[in-house]
Amino acid sequence: MKKFLSCALALVMMLGCLSILSGCGKKEEWVVDENGLTELMIGGIGPLTGDYANYGLSVRNGAQIAVDEINAANPSGVDGFKLVLDFQDSQGKSDAATSAFGKLMDDGMKVSLGATLSGETEAVVAAGDSDGILMLTPSGSAVSAISGSKQAFRVCFSDPAQGKASADYIAQYGLATKVAVFYGSDNNYCVGLYETFAAECQVKGIEIVEVQTFTSSTSTDFSAQINKIAASGADLVFLPIYAAEAATFLTQAGDKLDGMKLFGCDGLDGILTKIDDTSRVDGLLMLTPFAADSTKANVQSFVAKYQEKYGTTPDQFAADAYDAVYTIVAAMKKAGITADNKDDFNKRLVAAMTEITVEGLTGTMTWTADGEPTKNAMAMEYQGGKAVLFDPTK
Amino acid sequence: MIQLVETLISGLTLGSIYALIALGYTMVYGIAKMLNFAHGDIIMIGAYAVIVSVATLRLPAVVAILISVAVCTLLGVTIEFLAYRPLRQSPPLTVLITAIGVSYLLQNVALLIFGSEQKSTPRMFQIPDLKLGAVTISGVALLTLGVTAVIMIALTLFINKTRMGKAMRAVSEDKEAAELMGISVNKTITVTFAIGSALAAVASIFFGATYVYIKPTTGSMPGIKAFTAAVFGGIGSVPGAMLGGILLGVLEQLSKTYISTLWSDAIVFGVLVLVLVVKPSGLLGKTVREKV
Amino acid sequence: MGETVKTTPKLLPAGKSGIRRFLNADRVAVLAVVVAYAVVAILVYTGSATRQLMNMLISVSCYIVLALSLNLVVGLLGELSLGHAGFMSVGLFSGCTMAVLLHDTLPVILCLPLSMIVGGLAAALVGLLVGLPALRLRGDYLAIVTLACGEIIKNVITNLDIDGTPLRGALGIDTSSIRMSPTELLPYAIVLVLVTMLVIMNFKRSKHGRAIMAIRDNRIAAEATGVNVTYYKLMVFVLASLFAGMAGVLYGYSLPTTEASLFDYNMSIEILVIVVLGGMGNLGGSIIAAIILRVLPEALRDFSDYRMLAYSILLIGIMLLSENKRFKSWKSQVSLGSLWNKVRAKFRKKTPAVATADAVAEEPNHTDSPKGGDGQ
Repeated sequence: MKKFLSCALALVMMLGCLSILSGCGKKEEWVVDENGLTELMIGGIGPLTGDYANYGLSVRNGAQIAVDEINAANPSGVDGFKLVLDFQDSQGKSDAATSAFGKLMDDGMKVSLGATLSGETEAVVAAGDSDGILMLTPSGSAVSAISGSKQAFRVCFSDPAQGKASADYIAQYGLATKVAVFYGSDNNYCVGLYETFAAECQVKGIEIVEVQTFTSSTSTDFSAQINKIAASGADLVFLPIYAAEAATFLTQAGDKLDGMKLFGCDGLDGILTKIDDTSRVDGLLMLTPFAADSTKANVQSFVAKYQEKYGTTPDQFAADAYDAVYTIVAAMKKAGITADNKDDFNKRLVAAMTEITVEGLTGTMTWTADGEPTKNAMAMEYQGGKAVLFDPTK
Repeated sequence: MIQLVETLISGLTLGSIYALIALGYTMVYGIAKMLNFAHGDIIMIGAYAVIVSVATLRLPAVVAILISVAVCTLLGVTIEFLAYRPLRQSPPLTVLITAIGVSYLLQNVALLIFGSEQKSTPRMFQIPDLKLGAVTISGVALLTLGVTAVIMIALTLFINKTRMGKAMRAVSEDKEAAELMGISVNKTITVTFAIGSALAAVASIFFGATYVYIKPTTGSMPGIKAFTAAVFGGIGSVPGAMLGGILLGVLEQLSKTYISTLWSDAIVFGVLVLVLVVKPSGLLGKTVREKV
Repeated sequence: MGETVKTTPKLLPAGKSGIRRFLNADRVAVLAVVVAYAVVAILVYTGSATRQLMNMLISVSCYIVLALSLNLVVGLLGELSLGHAGFMSVGLFSGCTMAVLLHDTLPVILCLPLSMIVGGLAAALVGLLVGLPALRLRGDYLAIVTLACGEIIKNVITNLDIDGTPLRGALGIDTSSIRMSPTELLPYAIVLVLVTMLVIMNFKRSKHGRAIMAIRDNRIAAEATGVNVTYYKLMVFVLASLFAGMAGVLYGYSLPTTEASLFDYNMSIEILVIVVLGGMGNLGGSIIAAIILRVLPEALRDFSDYRMLAYSILLIGIMLLSENKRFKSWKSQVSLGSLWNKVRAKFRKKTPAVATADAVAEEPNHTDSPKGGDGQ
């Protein structure tokens, strides 16, 4: 009988849950605030808790700074719009990201920042394709992340683009002929970069002499891998990994890898805050569209604001998110969307994406119809605890 | 040869850290008969305590270590008092789920206080590397090995020679009988949690020194590895935890060096499964005779 | 919830009326699920469900199946398993690979059930392999072996990168060609949940189920009475992983890509929490707990940064409260169960309270411990 009651209770609870979830009404209409400004809700998704929380929080913080900046600069609104950011936690899981996307749609999201990690971005893009909404992911870098929808664009480079660009750069400036690679075998960013890098190396005649990997559950001790790489006789170690693992790698390497060049991609940005002995980073090359240590005025102002507000140095995720918000505004201007003229909002906004040019923190960007950005990566070199523009002719 | 020696030493270092954490698991299990899944997160708190006291408060390393040990000990005892003591008579799985809840709680509190980005751990020990011929041994590794050895000897002596140690053994044998003999079970369990958490703090210091950075979820991975090590050695057995931890570390490094880094997880866990199938109660675990 | 057991006689009364015989607890649970899904389906297909609800339906259904199947191992057999997510991923990766290869030639109404069966069987095979050590190991040692097997499975799948299949190693499986929206998948999810419920409930009350519970309660005594312990232990592992694998295929269909690293011990623990919260061996409880624990983080979204903190505090709170003696006695006084008993006692003085035979299985005092079957 106990069971009977628990089942009856189950029913009641299920209905209760439903009422929680279906109770809040759908907001399809535009909201106008007390100052007469139309609210443009930008929805973001990313891991704010759990193992990947740093990425999601960077994206949220970067986007928030851009939103605040734009609203402050336009007290009477951007063509009558006030930007509102709603950022939801996904814990890095695709299923939670799609529920979060559902909630944002329920709450009246007008433009989506996709999601933060590649896998969850792909899920969100698939879930949102039929809505026609513009999805501009700051950081979903796997090719497949945005290939599922015509309305999906990204701010960051795709992984293969970076892998190929790295190999090209190394070949172009003759940095090395023998290369060792160290990457995370269970991380799609690392694997995506590694695979295209390896393919391009074959084309350019660069020999890969050693490949060492790690997984997220063995990311604490790299001494075995370091010893192998040290013994491989490579001229250069390619590190398509994130800053935290790179910090561990370089610290544990000590002076074992002296004489080898170190080369990485945008994942390495922010390494200085994760390593205590910054002299270990000296000589590390990084092919990246964004470097927090850059002398560009817009980057410096962004970094200063970010440090003041959040107490840390922004990384590429934050910069990409900042640029994403500015891109949305640029696309709205291009499409001629104003608070009074916003019929066919989604369609006009998406169409404008391929026509705009945005000067952002991560360079000057234009977009292809596939949603891929075209922008330049710079090679930066760490010297004396700072990243400076690398001069390959030296 | 050089490679083998270096691999063995890095395996021993990694294993020592696993062993220090595994001791906390195994002692708590032996005495309170519960799996304290929040144990890994105590390491994380300990590491943050070091970072705060060295990097923010500019305290000397020794003081920072003492603060870290004190914070962890206090935390362990508090968790035991608030979350586990009310569940003393409850089924083990209820306690297990509570421990998982505590683990989530600690991670999320740390996330709110310290933020999500990885924080580099300050260099506290400036020990030169030791060069023996062609073999280089890092100073931190030597220190880790030395301190772990001292702690293990001290712990063995404590358990076998002191009154409190005797009480612990009695409680782990038979709670009711121990209580009848005038041993305060609650006090004994509190002391066990205190020692286990203090060891976790020591582990966190070496962990931070070797592995560079800390974030709120740092504790879960070494936690689960140490749990594995404790069971490998025979859960509830103190020498078993030491042996299990060190073997696990060495095994991990050997498989990474000589077989494949791609398959090292599968190899390490595969060996573990095989050993347990052959010896179902772990390497040094007591085989419980079944009575009808 | 053990309070009613003391008052209920274990034997079936002879003069049970038809409707009461029909309305045993399991059937009520099935009915409740049917009604609940009917309500959901009406909401979804009339367009009045929120997007958030719609996007959660499939994952909640998967977790219901996962919890029900894990309950076989943990509740029925009394062994702790920390590798259930591994079985799910085996099912997902094998079943969805087949589905991607076949989806051009087969209509989805055949392709999906077929791949679910293939995924389930593949998971069952792995379950059989994992079950073998279980014959020798018990308690925490078995728990660590299941955890290890889950990690091995994860490692192997992460390294599977085969051209011509959707398997892309660490990049996950590419299921974008077979992905279906929640509205399209909902009928399949409902069928899977109901089939799982019916099979597991009937299994539990069959002679096999009783034999397994006998092993849990006292292995030596069960063996002495001729129960084939080896056979039944393996059967539980195979059956549990079969359903986990099928849930995996459903899960794979709902997303355009899935990475193997998702199915780690944390996910297994998440499923275990559902089973323990719902009550060991209590299938209805597993369903309720699966819904609550999946909906809770979504319902807590308005707490923003404090969301997971609130979740962990609630989890600890529920556990402490459920074991609190004062709360227990208060609950038994005010609960619907005691009210119902009082009302019924007035009207049906002659017939003693009805207990289905398997109410014995719900006796929580001995079912809560995975080591309950050690035979002290």
